[in-house]
Amino acid sequence: MGSPSRQTSASDSSLTPDEYQKFCEFFYRKTGILFNDKKGYFVDRRIAERIEKTGSECFRDYFALLRFQASGAEWQELVNVMTVNETYFLREDYQFEALVRGMLPELVGKRGIGDTVRIWSAPCSTGEEPYSIAIYILENWKRSDDFAIEILASDIDSKVLAAAQLGIFGERSIQRLSPTLRRKYFTSLGDDRFQIIRELRESIDFARINVVDKSHMSRYSKIDVIFCRNLLIYFDDMSRRETVELMYECLTPGGFICLGHSESMSRISSLFVPRKFGDTIVYQKAPTAN
Amino acid sequence: MLVKPTARQRAACESPAETIDFDRLVRDLDDGECVVRRRAARDLGEIAAAGPHLVGRLAIETEPSARAAILSALIRLRSVEVVDGLVAFLRSEDVGLRNAVIEALQEMPEEALPSLRLLLTDSDSDVRIFAVNILNGLCHPGMVPCLVEVIATDSHVNVCMAAVDGLAEAGDVEAIPPLAALARRFADVPFVAFAVAAATRRIRGH
Ligand SMILES: C[S@@+](CC[C@H](N)C(=O)[O-])C[C@H]1O[C@@H](n2cnc3c(N)ncnc32)[C@H](O)[C@@H]1O
Repeated sequence: MGSPSRQTSASDSSLTPDEYQKFCEFFYRKTGILFNDKKGYFVDRRIAERIEKTGSECFRDYFALLRFQASGAEWQELVNVMTVNETYFLREDYQFEALVRGMLPELVGKRGIGDTVRIWSAPCSTGEEPYSIAIYILENWKRSDDFAIEILASDIDSKVLAAAQLGIFGERSIQRLSPTLRRKYFTSLGDDRFQIIRELRESIDFARINVVDKSHMSRYSKIDVIFCRNLLIYFDDMSRRETVELMYECLTPGGFICLGHSESMSRISSLFVPRKFGDTIVYQKAPTAN
Repeated sequence: MLVKPTARQRAACESPAETIDFDRLVRDLDDGECVVRRRAARDLGEIAAAGPHLVGRLAIETEPSARAAILSALIRLRSVEVVDGLVAFLRSEDVGLRNAVIEALQEMPEEALPSLRLLLTDSDSDVRIFAVNILNGLCHPGMVPCLVEVIATDSHVNVCMAAVDGLAEAGDVEAIPPLAALARRFADVPFVAFAVAAATRRIRGH
């Protein structure tokens, strides 16, 4: 902010209330994410940055680029800077416990050896969640060798997906992992950087999926468990509702959705049956659903 | 054993988006397969003209998941016509449907307010109670004057009591004199004075 010229350009590109409103509506329609007025500074600053980086003259130009650029590249850039990607290994791990003790045993009850079990981390951010699921299952589910376990992971943000696939994490992100698990599943790269072993990296399927987009969501079906944690908090009621309804379609009958600890299905939809496993409540699609 | 998902999941990704055929979607809304009906409802939620068809299906749909999809589509379409269509279901005998419709109306406060105001003049006190309950959950500044009017004019004590609940939550000090007047109007009904006192305390922040 030191040089006068930058100050000018930043203030030139700050949005008028009308522009702010228009932008938020557009962004909301495409992502489900709702910025309230308190987020003004957060939004303003990021847009100013993008205006500058794209060499746009003003907000109007930039907005036109955003909407009409055929490749959608700038839209993706913008999404990448607007999302909150905070995550870490074994976050809310009591749900992984519920997965291996409660949900998986119930789901595989009638399945044969070698059958598929499909788990989806949506959104996965930089990958900590799907890798945690993989590690937790390998370590704690006695029957993990009996089934073909597919772990799918997705996010709207292409930058975090690239990082997830690379699988390099800092100390902060893996601090909840024991030394044994670190040794077993990571290679130390020095400088407090750890890369998840190749075998795990290659076994997870990462994809860019916008959960409010019907056509994206129709790619997934017969999912047994969806981890949809710390996403719906950024949405308004309608997007929450539409998202869980789309997830309902992706689930196999009897499949489960796990939400973050501050999120509750009861205020979103009555399509699911709440189920308690240990200390956590997860939400089930009726086993008889059609 | 962890396995990478096969090309199957991926292949589906590349399938081209289908072009939208309105008439087919409307037909699909009556399909025998619930999943087809849900998909049709969701696609129709993007076409303004679909409102009446969705409302029509809602009247006969019994599957909860399809009902939910229809209501979500209607919330997305939100309009005064949609509201008018939905309001008719408040007289339904089906509690589940009624509640779902109430929630949907609360999702479109701007559009719902005029119809709700009209419902407050309905001759059936049960319908007026529903209207007040919906108003109570409406995130819209226009709800407070409506509730104040209810307690000033409605002849049925239960309708007024429902409005007192809403005012206790959302009212400000301006609601206090009309509340006091209500207590006087129903001086012979003991619980009214009690509820009014409680609401007044809440509004004052005690
Ligand atoms: C806080 S992270 C949660 C990560 C992980 N589930 C956890 O609980 O640790 C939220 C993620 O949601 C993603 N996101 C936001 N809107 C999305 C959308 N419409 N579709 C898919 N992902 C979205 C963001 O990119 C971000 O990576």
